[in-house]
Amino acid sequence: MKLKLTLRALPVVLTALTGASILHTTAARADDAVPANTVAAGIYQIFYHVKADDLSGPFVPPGVNIDLKDTRTAYFGYFRRLTSYLDLELAFGVPPETKTVGKGPATLGSVPYAGATIATSKWAAPSALLEYKFFSESTALRPYVGVGVNYTSFYDRDVTAAGQAGTGGPTRLSLTSSVGPVGTVGLKYRPGTRWSVFASYSISRVDTNLKTDTAGEIRTTHVAFRPQALVVGAGYSF
Amino acid sequence: MKRFRSALGAIAAAMLVAACGSDTQTSVENPSTSHGTLVENPPVRIASLNATDFQTQLASTGASGQQLLQLTGSPQCGVDFYYLKFYTLGGAGEVTMSSGALMVPTGAAGTCSGPRPIVLYAHGTQTNKTLNIADITNTSNTEGALIAAMFAAQGYIVVAPNYAGYDISTLGYHPFVNAAQQSGEMMDILAAARTALPKTFAASTTDSGKLFVTGYSEGGYVAMATQRALQTAGATITAAAPMSGPYALEAFGDAIFYGDVDIGSTIFAPLISTSYQHAYGNIYTATTDVYSTQYASGIDTLLPSATPIDTIYANGQLPELALFNSTTPVVTIPNNPTLSTVLTDALAVPGSALNPGIPNDPRTPLFASGFGSPGLITNDYRVSYVLDAAGNPDGAVPTPVAGVPLAATAPTQSLRKALNLNDMRTGPWAPAEPTLLCGGDQDPTVFFSVNTQTMQAFWSTSPAAAYVSVLDVNATPAAPWTTLQATFQASQAQLLAFYESTAGGGLSPEAAEEQVIAAYHTNVAPFCSLAARIFFSQF
Repeated sequence: MKLKLTLRALPVVLTALTGASILHTTAARADDAVPANTVAAGIYQIFYHVKADDLSGPFVPPGVNIDLKDTRTAYFGYFRRLTSYLDLELAFGVPPETKTVGKGPATLGSVPYAGATIATSKWAAPSALLEYKFFSESTALRPYVGVGVNYTSFYDRDVTAAGQAGTGGPTRLSLTSSVGPVGTVGLKYRPGTRWSVFASYSISRVDTNLKTDTAGEIRTTHVAFRPQALVVGAGYSF
Repeated sequence: MKRFRSALGAIAAAMLVAACGSDTQTSVENPSTSHGTLVENPPVRIASLNATDFQTQLASTGASGQQLLQLTGSPQCGVDFYYLKFYTLGGAGEVTMSSGALMVPTGAAGTCSGPRPIVLYAHGTQTNKTLNIADITNTSNTEGALIAAMFAAQGYIVVAPNYAGYDISTLGYHPFVNAAQQSGEMMDILAAARTALPKTFAASTTDSGKLFVTGYSEGGYVAMATQRALQTAGATITAAAPMSGPYALEAFGDAIFYGDVDIGSTIFAPLISTSYQHAYGNIYTATTDVYSTQYASGIDTLLPSATPIDTIYANGQLPELALFNSTTPVVTIPNNPTLSTVLTDALAVPGSALNPGIPNDPRTPLFASGFGSPGLITNDYRVSYVLDAAGNPDGAVPTPVAGVPLAATAPTQSLRKALNLNDMRTGPWAPAEPTLLCGGDQDPTVFFSVNTQTMQAFWSTSPAAAYVSVLDVNATPAAPWTTLQATFQASQAQLLAFYESTAGGGLSPEAAEEQVIAAYHTNVAPFCSLAARIFFSQF
């Protein structure tokens, strides 16, 4: 069954996850010395594996497509210990500025296209994950897996001068927000009760309907960004 | 629990901060619908080609592109193609959006930027409602490529409407050869283009103040009507070059109704009747007043159309050639048997025993092909028109009068009255700036003698005569057009030889000549356009 979440469903999911944490925390806290809350910081390295339909609309030659440059940003997270095996992670980062580059013909007319940075936008992309940690809590090095949901919205959407040369003038860029599943695998090392370091690799589904408006000429495409994120970070528990 | 809520709050706050920020916006939309208003400023640039890429693109379109380049010369400038949307008025004064092209020369050469002259261009008749002359990415946009190569790539800013009724226009018809509407639309797009020009990517290319007006076929007529309207408005025109246009509309209509059926007449007929019906409301009560029952239904909304014209022919919605019925109508004028006989004979199929036509005129078989059964226009309607033409004759048709060939003074038939009203001889007007009328004397689509030479004769007296010159590309080569005329005639000879060759189908000389004549109107266009550019370059 395909998991289909809408933006409207996101609060429900978060509430459910939060509610679960409260119930499980109550049960686990009595016999557990590991603090329940952990804040973490680190580095996100995001790799995009973009799959987009060719841009369609007036005056668009065949084969015009887009790609994204990989990016890096700061990671911040909050972990809530639910049981000795389950954590809830709320992951977010400083919204990275992504650079959209042209893909397809080398030029549109005489305007350079393929490889040119045609647009930039920032991503607010928090994720909530329920993670299962292997081994007992007394083990310092614990691998974990997790599943959850990602919500992505795009803002500061700017079409660059090179992009405007391609679209034909000042252009408004719209990207619909995305809600999709996210999965992660990671390894956490906790030498004591307070500090930990970890690394994880996540895959999420982030889709959007892209629309440009240049003097009333509308061009559209559907983009699956398929981001994969490597996070290396450290946490402090309290 | 409290800490957990605080952490969520921090995340929410971070997201809220993250959600702020400005996005790039598109062009400013002008809410006014006054005619001449540019809708979006800056307009969208459809394509930008530098001189090298433009030459490569033209050359890649095959022999036609290479021949065009031979005529136009290599592009000296790049060209930016902008798609203008503007408001104009329809044939009955309806507010409608229309569209067109603004082609801006680009490049470092001095002739490609800075103050540059504007060529205001009107295109020829198109059946394709989706026509967008600005869309250089469409390989079927040959006229757009022609004017871009001929004018824009040589340093002229080009402004050209698609016309109301085409492309995005919501007008349900095209105001075909409606002088007031079409000249008004030309002035509207000129105003819109002048508004757009400073906002384009090539803002360093500016309007020098020189204005040249030209156009081909229907556009030749529109160019002349625009020249008149601009003069009337007190605007500055540097020079004009109407080309192969139906300027003397009444005389042209008379020639056709008498039986000289031009190529394309079954397209022109519904365009013109619909245009004038919307403008004047008196062409017909029902379309069956004009058209055979086989074609009458829906003909008032048939053209222009997104459906290819060949499909329209194949669907039986329009005859390809047969404008009139091949069964000759018998004209009966009470108490005038002589005139009745003369007119009956005149309405017979050209080349027939009753109406043999001019001996050895290669156009006679073409005229004859305009007859069939049932024919697009009814015999009754044809007779009603011809009776008016006979009773209120035009000065140029059927026999040009000595001196200035005036239009009829008192036409009574509604179509003929409309043609008279829109005839360029109507109204106290004559060119007051250098004007070149270009065409080819064998043109079977828009007759040169009836239109161009009629206007030449009409303006043969002072002071207009000093401004008006005529170029017949098919005349014996003579200065200052020796090379151009010789080149045109050589191209016609090559085409004739091609049709007679195995590669061209191995046609007989007569059949090959018919093929050449059939394509004549189209083939004259680039030569007259070159003549217009050479003419404009003097000023």
